[in-house]
Amino acid sequence: MKNPLISGFSIRSPWFKDNEIINKEKEDVVMVLCRTADEQLEVFLQEQGEETSFHRVAQQKVKCGFGLQGVCCKLCTNGPCRITPDSPCGVCGATADTIVARNFLRTVAAGSACYLHVVENAARELQALARNGDEIRSEATLQRLVEMMGIEEKDPHQQALLVSEKVLEDLYRPREEKMELVKRLSYSPRYHLWEKLNILPGGAKAEVFDALVKSSTNLNSDPQDMLLHVLNLGISTGIYGLTLTNLLNDVIIGEPSIYSAKTGFRVVDPDYINILVTGHQHALFRDLQDQMAQEETVKLAKKAGAKGFCLVGSTCVGQDMEIRKGSTEKVGEVYCGHTGNNFTSEPLLQTGAIDLIASEFNCTLPGLERLSETYQIKMVYLDDVAKKATAEKPEDHSEDILKRALESYQERRGQVKISIPQEHGNPSALTGITETSLKKFLGDTYQPILDLITSGKIRGIAGVVGCSNLTTEGHDVFTVKLTKELIKKNILVLTAGCTSGGLANVGLTNPEAAREAGENLQTICRELGIPPVLNFGPCLSIGRLELVVKELAEALDVDLPALPVVLSAPQWLEEQALADGAFALALGLTIHLAQPPFILGGKTVTQVLTKELKNLTGGRVLVEGDVKKAAQALALELETKRDGLGI
Amino acid sequence: MKRIFIDYQKCQGCRNCVLACMVEKTEGVSNLWEIDLSHPETESRNYVSPRDRFTTVPLICRHCDEPECANNCISGAMKKDSLSGLVKHDSNPCVGCCICVLSCPYGVLRPSVKEEEGVLKCDLCADKETPACVSSCTTKALSLEEVEVS
Repeated sequence: MKNPLISGFSIRSPWFKDNEIINKEKEDVVMVLCRTADEQLEVFLQEQGEETSFHRVAQQKVKCGFGLQGVCCKLCTNGPCRITPDSPCGVCGATADTIVARNFLRTVAAGSACYLHVVENAARELQALARNGDEIRSEATLQRLVEMMGIEEKDPHQQALLVSEKVLEDLYRPREEKMELVKRLSYSPRYHLWEKLNILPGGAKAEVFDALVKSSTNLNSDPQDMLLHVLNLGISTGIYGLTLTNLLNDVIIGEPSIYSAKTGFRVVDPDYINILVTGHQHALFRDLQDQMAQEETVKLAKKAGAKGFCLVGSTCVGQDMEIRKGSTEKVGEVYCGHTGNNFTSEPLLQTGAIDLIASEFNCTLPGLERLSETYQIKMVYLDDVAKKATAEKPEDHSEDILKRALESYQERRGQVKISIPQEHGNPSALTGITETSLKKFLGDTYQPILDLITSGKIRGIAGVVGCSNLTTEGHDVFTVKLTKELIKKNILVLTAGCTSGGLANVGLTNPEAAREAGENLQTICRELGIPPVLNFGPCLSIGRLELVVKELAEALDVDLPALPVVLSAPQWLEEQALADGAFALALGLTIHLAQPPFILGGKTVTQVLTKELKNLTGGRVLVEGDVKKAAQALALELETKRDGLGI
Repeated sequence: MKRIFIDYQKCQGCRNCVLACMVEKTEGVSNLWEIDLSHPETESRNYVSPRDRFTTVPLICRHCDEPECANNCISGAMKKDSLSGLVKHDSNPCVGCCICVLSCPYGVLRPSVKEEEGVLKCDLCADKETPACVSSCTTKALSLEEVEVS
């Protein structure tokens, strides 16, 4: 029997049969790769031949149906139990919905924990900065935070200290104490709704903790209660993990500004000692960036025959560096640019030009380990949550990292072939867009965007966000196709996360990409000199998109679900993405996913998330695995919202 | 003819073969996302059973050289095709007596919950080069080999 809840939708098989390319025969082994939207990368991968995720996806193409539908439970020794028509309950009596809800809550809790870890570290860095009286690199952002939090202190370092402490206090509160900043940082109609629904979060870490308790063996078995807990986690993930992390990082590192950047492998200069960064925690690189820019450090590199030390951007932290490069000398001098998203990191090592990998968070693929051995690249970790098997802990944060990079450069150069595809990436991608830089660009007001939306020249805004994966038609394939469809329909696309790395590398964030847009959007882009896809940088910046949306709603004096705004995380990959998604649902936005989040085996859970939630928060999950149908559904959603507003 | 071979020592009991069969034989369904795992009409033609304390074994129609199911069929619904070697079931003449189910020495045949279908019978995925159960087997406990038809 076909699942009645998905009738009318297309969900693609996770077997990617149509999307594989057979590589030339190499040493009698036929290599099968999955496709990527990045043509230059595809050519490069075929030339190199070493195994990467692009190859392993073929070895893993047979999927487990119980896993896909979320109906496998291994919470006790009576299991693993799996739901089939002959065995509709686990040994304990857990129904499909209970099993699905427990698995889903655990996943969201893990994703939420990841983002909370990031904001916790950023707050700690700010706390140390304030205590040491170190330089504050964005007074303006600090003042915004001070205002948001209602801090009355006048001394900037005291202000920074109080900001960091307020964040940490909220994170560490017990579950029965509500987090204080939620009220100040959220849009007031939303806050009241969350209060009414009883989903205002207590201490964020305690909420994650009890989500694990709830979903453990023979504890909570009520799918609806667990789904409400998911929304609760979404609120703390979004406000703290996303929004506040960005702002704290701006104070620590500097505020982003709009500029035109080079992206892709072309940014890598083999004449430098190259340090590849992977993760999500820009705050942890402040000291390293500062040290790298110092004259003595440059001299050290020159003595070894290099021009200097250079940070090579990859994954979201690379994008954090990219958006802040334009306005921050210290980043600008020592950072060459962003090479690409999560799955681009493995092929990057194959250029031979990377001397050291410094990881501090995901997306640090385990596959980097084997390649780092092949290419003799040393690995260090700045945070043990991203400890790789082959990585070592630097003794002193920055000096030791530089020493290791230098040693690695001296040992490996000359032994490893360097081949950088000079055409890879984008010569002029517009970047550095944030809630403040965009507003400034528009003349210190969002009115121009509001006018374009209300006049109908722009039909609405779609946030194409989140990760890249290799199974939704291949690396970035669905994301790129969907984005092209949306801009053709005169929908302005804002992007944040690995999606933006992918969209930048295929040229959609260049002003010239206007030619791919519908007539109205094309004219607007040409007049303003902007691309039809605005790059907000890392996934953390999904929090910045929310700030933009909040301001638009305030200007129109409506609640968020009324706005012609939709989200899509077409190629969502991981637990963090689902925690982001939970925030979107709490905000009342429709979020599209091309692959369902392992819930289809639970009918109540599926029904609530895809339909009934709309009556609670205004948000819902829209699952559609066909690009054209997805673009149509999102456009229809925008039109319905326009009708609701009478525009 | 082609016949499925089972290396039971490789079977981990994951039941991928069972779900692959459900996908293949459920109307309107093209992948694992779409099958309704709670509905009795989602049926497979193969099963995974415990073999002993430590091992499991996939049970799949052998398309026997001497098929007891066909030999005992009273309506002529179950027949061995002399050309392809396949034991085929035709639901039209089937009267639903289930003699075939009782006769199968491997316990593979089961009646369908859908009366009009009669019995759930493997056709070796006649329209595919490799049967769905074989291509979905992660441990290669199932393989397809060419054998002489006796």
